Amino acid sequence: MISAPLFYGFSFFIIFFSLLVLLSANPIVAALSLAAAMVGVAGVFFALGAHFIAAVQVTVYAGAVMVLFVIVLMLFDLKRDESVSSALSRFLKIAVVGLILGLITGAVAMSGFDSSLQIFVHDPASITPTKKLATLLFEKYLFAFEVLGVLLLVIAIGVVSVSRIKGGTHAKS
Amino acid sequence: MQNLESFINIGLNHFLYLSSIVFTIGLLTVLLRKNLIVILMGIELMLNAVNLSFIAFSSYSGDIHGQVLVFFVMTVAAAEAGVGLAIAVAIFKKFKEVDISFFQKLKG
Amino acid sequence: MNQDAIIVTVNIIKMSVIFLLMVQLVPLLVWVERRGSAFIQNRFGPNRVGPLGLLQLLADAVKFAFKEEFVPEKSHKAFFYMAPVLALLPGVLAFGSIPLSIPFTLSGEGWTHTFPTQVFDLGIGIVFVLGVSSLGAYALLLAGWGSANKFSLFGALRASAQMISYELALGLSLVGILLCYGTFDFTEMIQAQQGPLSFTLFSKEYTIPFLPAWGIFYQPLGALLFFVSVFAETNRLPFDLPEAEAELVAGYHTEYGGLKMLMFYIGEYGHMMVASALMATFYFGGYTAPGLSVEGVQSFLTQSLGFESANAISMMTMLIFHLVLMTKVILFLWIFIWVRWTLPRFRYDQLMDLGWKTMLPWAIFNTIITALFILARGV
Repeated sequence: MISAPLFYGFSFFIIFFSLLVLLSANPIVAALSLAAAMVGVAGVFFALGAHFIAAVQVTVYAGAVMVLFVIVLMLFDLKRDESVSSALSRFLKIAVVGLILGLITGAVAMSGFDSSLQIFVHDPASITPTKKLATLLFEKYLFAFEVLGVLLLVIAIGVVSVSRIKGGTHAKS
Repeated sequence: MQNLESFINIGLNHFLYLSSIVFTIGLLTVLLRKNLIVILMGIELMLNAVNLSFIAFSSYSGDIHGQVLVFFVMTVAAAEAGVGLAIAVAIFKKFKEVDISFFQKLKG
Repeated sequence: MNQDAIIVTVNIIKMSVIFLLMVQLVPLLVWVERRGSAFIQNRFGPNRVGPLGLLQLLADAVKFAFKEEFVPEKSHKAFFYMAPVLALLPGVLAFGSIPLSIPFTLSGEGWTHTFPTQVFDLGIGIVFVLGVSSLGAYALLLAGWGSANKFSLFGALRASAQMISYELALGLSLVGILLCYGTFDFTEMIQAQQGPLSFTLFSKEYTIPFLPAWGIFYQPLGALLFFVSVFAETNRLPFDLPEAEAELVAGYHTEYGGLKMLMFYIGEYGHMMVASALMATFYFGGYTAPGLSVEGVQSFLTQSLGFESANAISMMTMLIFHLVLMTKVILFLWIFIWVRWTLPRFRYDQLMDLGWKTMLPWAIFNTIITALFILARGV
């Protein structure tokens, strides 16, 4: 069983930094707090026994993707404040999102998942062996894996060509 | 007493609540913020919330297929971030602007 | 619940011991670096304070502690203070997951406990180390952005671009050795490197009795690529573009002084130590040495040195194996220092060319060749 202090500690950490992403005016602060939130999510993965996925989460998200975000933001050097949408539209958006949150939590609460289904953190049996994950990935999901490889290749070429665009139909000069 | 117990005994539901809260914050980031890059961050946050619920389900049902799915989501998210940032950089180089409302003017 | 408390306490104690070990090694390394550079450049180096200049370390520490506390006026204060602390973390965390010696057993009246000499045994060893050390880029970015100084910012951007580029080569150069051992776990890797060198080709086994089964003999190219990319990851010469003195004053730590500067130093040397320990674990047999077995050491301790208590024997055995690892680590640290004072710095485009056009293709080539050999093993 995951002890309550551990869970609430992680939850507080993740929600605090997620809120900072939403509320901070400085985009760099937002990016760094997103990285912190991702490390927190990795911590939850870890507590749930998915060690390999947790480490990959830190390496890929916090270590690579967010560093990319931060570098791009530092290159931009934004000075201007963001524009804000009208009060009515903001109210509508928040209301809709609140409704969605209510629906999701209501669905979870009413679904009646057996909360006695609990895993044991210190039990080695609850930790997913990486070998099992790899066997599944390279046997059952081999095709999806290869497709992802092709996707990444396409993305790499696309990113290089997009970042080399000169001019275009809507260029100012 | 019943309430306190459900507060202390952490089950699957708690992880799903956490995931839905994080997802909502990500959605709000996408809807309310105007900075293109912060919007991309909101998308990443939503994907993370989904991953969280995947892992919670996977470890509570003892089925590791969910973890493989998380692996795929991460790959696609990284690819999406790469393309999004490349487009943002290309637009910023051209127009010196990252405000999303500015892009309404790009209509043909 | 009680068991949990004990585990947490033991882990906290182990973590502090490892942190202190690293912090204590840093002044010694600084001394070796200064004396070594002097030796290489035919100078004297610091030799006035104490015997061989060893007390220079103490003098340096006092100097660092009493420097003026300085914060640039337009800096982002939180980032500025956070960066040095973040620079310390990855090295310590990564070092904690590397097994430093064999486990030792302590027993008393009615209890026995085996302590692994590793803070956390995760079973995913190397993936964790890669993940944690990739977080080191944030320290540099925060320092660069927080200082509000264009030299710092340039240094930070260069450093993070360099770290991301070489992380690819680093990860791929390790795939070969992971294929050979078939595990992520450091302890299992060290177990696999016992005994004489032997390899199977087309279902025939060949053994070379006078060589140990170290990873370097299976993966010479992988070891070379790993070592070079580790140099880039630690931002040491010849890859120290982020703090190139002639162009950028001091790179990302231009605005730092006193203890905050010292923390960056400890972080850098911590990275070097982690890299050396990884090099020893992957390619040079970790804490084992050819001809040194646990039983052999124990019988030597009881028969020749007359140890009797089981606790003392267990502790001494652990220490001897730890010394074996430390010897290897110190050897690699000396290579780090030696290279720094021997090779000139790359130009930035040369650095990127080396990373993307030379190291990456060779690492992929190494992976494919290893996979083919494993296929040809003929299981």
